[in-house]
Amino acid sequence: MKLTVDERWDLIEKISKETVIFGVYKHTVKDAIGELTVKPLTGIPIAFAVLYGFWSFFGSFAGFFTDGFFVKLFDEHWLPWLQDVFPGGLGNWFYAIMVDAGHMENGILVASDNCFESFGVLTSGFFLAIGVVLPAIIAFYLILTLLEDTGYMPRLAVLIDTVLHKIGLHGFAIVPTILSLGCNVPAVTASRILETKKQRFIMMTLLAIFIPCGAQLGIMEEVIPDTIGFVLLYLFTGYFILGFILHKVLPGKSPEILIDVPPYQMPMLRDVAMKLWMRVKGFFKIAIPFVLLGCIIVNILYLANIIDWLANVLSPVLSGWFGVPKETVGPLIAAFLRKDLAVAQLSAIEMTKYQMITSVVLVSIYFPCVATFMMLLKEGWKDLLGSIAVLALVVFLYGGLLHLIWILLGVA
Amino acid sequence: MNEKYNLGSVYFGILGVVALVCGIADLVVVAGGDSFSWGILEIPSDPFRGGWGGLIILFAGLFYLYSIKNFSEIHHFSKAVMGSILVWVIAGCDILAMITESIPGGEEGGWFNTLEGFLGTYAPPYAPAIFLLPFSLVIIYHLHKRGGTNADMEE
Repeated sequence: MKLTVDERWDLIEKISKETVIFGVYKHTVKDAIGELTVKPLTGIPIAFAVLYGFWSFFGSFAGFFTDGFFVKLFDEHWLPWLQDVFPGGLGNWFYAIMVDAGHMENGILVASDNCFESFGVLTSGFFLAIGVVLPAIIAFYLILTLLEDTGYMPRLAVLIDTVLHKIGLHGFAIVPTILSLGCNVPAVTASRILETKKQRFIMMTLLAIFIPCGAQLGIMEEVIPDTIGFVLLYLFTGYFILGFILHKVLPGKSPEILIDVPPYQMPMLRDVAMKLWMRVKGFFKIAIPFVLLGCIIVNILYLANIIDWLANVLSPVLSGWFGVPKETVGPLIAAFLRKDLAVAQLSAIEMTKYQMITSVVLVSIYFPCVATFMMLLKEGWKDLLGSIAVLALVVFLYGGLLHLIWILLGVA
Repeated sequence: MNEKYNLGSVYFGILGVVALVCGIADLVVVAGGDSFSWGILEIPSDPFRGGWGGLIILFAGLFYLYSIKNFSEIHHFSKAVMGSILVWVIAGCDILAMITESIPGGEEGGWFNTLEGFLGTYAPPYAPAIFLLPFSLVIIYHLHKRGGTNADMEE
């Protein structure tokens, strides 16, 4: 038996009438809340609250472990114990690299009394990796995972889409941006979700320059708790200014997006735990070797007087243009390996509050850490060279601009 | 049914005004620079908790006030739910901060806090969001009366 097209449609209608229950979808409170989080008028206040919760949880959780327990463990027990039992003693080069380089007071070399200043692989290296960075990273990835699994992230992408179009990106760019606040390495990979070469270049350049990673945020929370808000504001402002300029200057397209926004749902404990474990494990595979290697290299450079020589050579730029002490050259070198390590080193240098803000901003923007650098290289050496050229210009101008602001305010 | 919703709109109208006043007070105190204490109430002057947090409490108040226009209608009702969620975020963060402060012994103390120190952390004064918290929980009763949040089909 052969049916005509009309007969087929009639048959389909008949079957569907008998087998399918047609109903009216009743709008629920969950749907209505979903709409509220996407509309700018209501969605922006909600996004403000989510960010507040994010940051507040980050501070409380990381502070609980770092200030509450790890500072005490490392400064009062681990460091004195190592200073007692490690062979060599103060002044010995191997002891300096592994435990404590010490510092000069009235011409006498004295032992450090905390792990921020000792700068040994076994003291500062372990303290930074386990005592400071681990709680910060767990807190960050826990909240990020919860936001993803509840279904808030796609809504944030929709909400911020219009703003990100002004800088040549679209709503999906919020994913690498927020991931970058945890670690720049997966964020560079995540920038592949952007469709065009222009978008990917803008995204990678902005990530490499303006987004501090979770480890760095954790150390900043320890070193500059009162001014961290200003530093972040300055960095995020730079993110949009540079993005806008790159969007105007670079050729290429910035297409629209079509996002499937899932309904809100309760996150499942097993999924959250698994994602958190994978992310923290991935981060530590990258971070710990570089933190320890960073301690070794910086200590060797100090012992060989290369840091002092570089500090004198670069003094006109550092002190004259950026307005920071020439001693910041050491942390800037350490920042090639790990930016969290570099910020920790800054805390041991005597400087004013404003110089500290400028130094932290410089460490953040001046070069991606080596792990991010390798990821950028994987994406293509031409893009990497382009990013570095933009970066050099931005560091010089944006760092200098901050010094100019302090001069105008009369505090530099 | 209508009476229940009328009562709800009056309740959240009052709560909205109170939240709005608390939010504005938070912002005024931050602008002034010194924290404000009155009995068991304390308004922090730091830009994060007072400024950013105050702004969110102000938004919560606005959400409540927008909801009373037609409280029985689902889109307006959901604004009251959102207002409560904003209060829960701020109050929850304040409570979490208290918990994380109360357990460690501090710089001079031992590993853990003394019982006295532990209990002392939870003593007043409290920030405005903590006072708003119990009143904001009334939305759970309304959600329950409405029959939950899950989508369903009707023939």
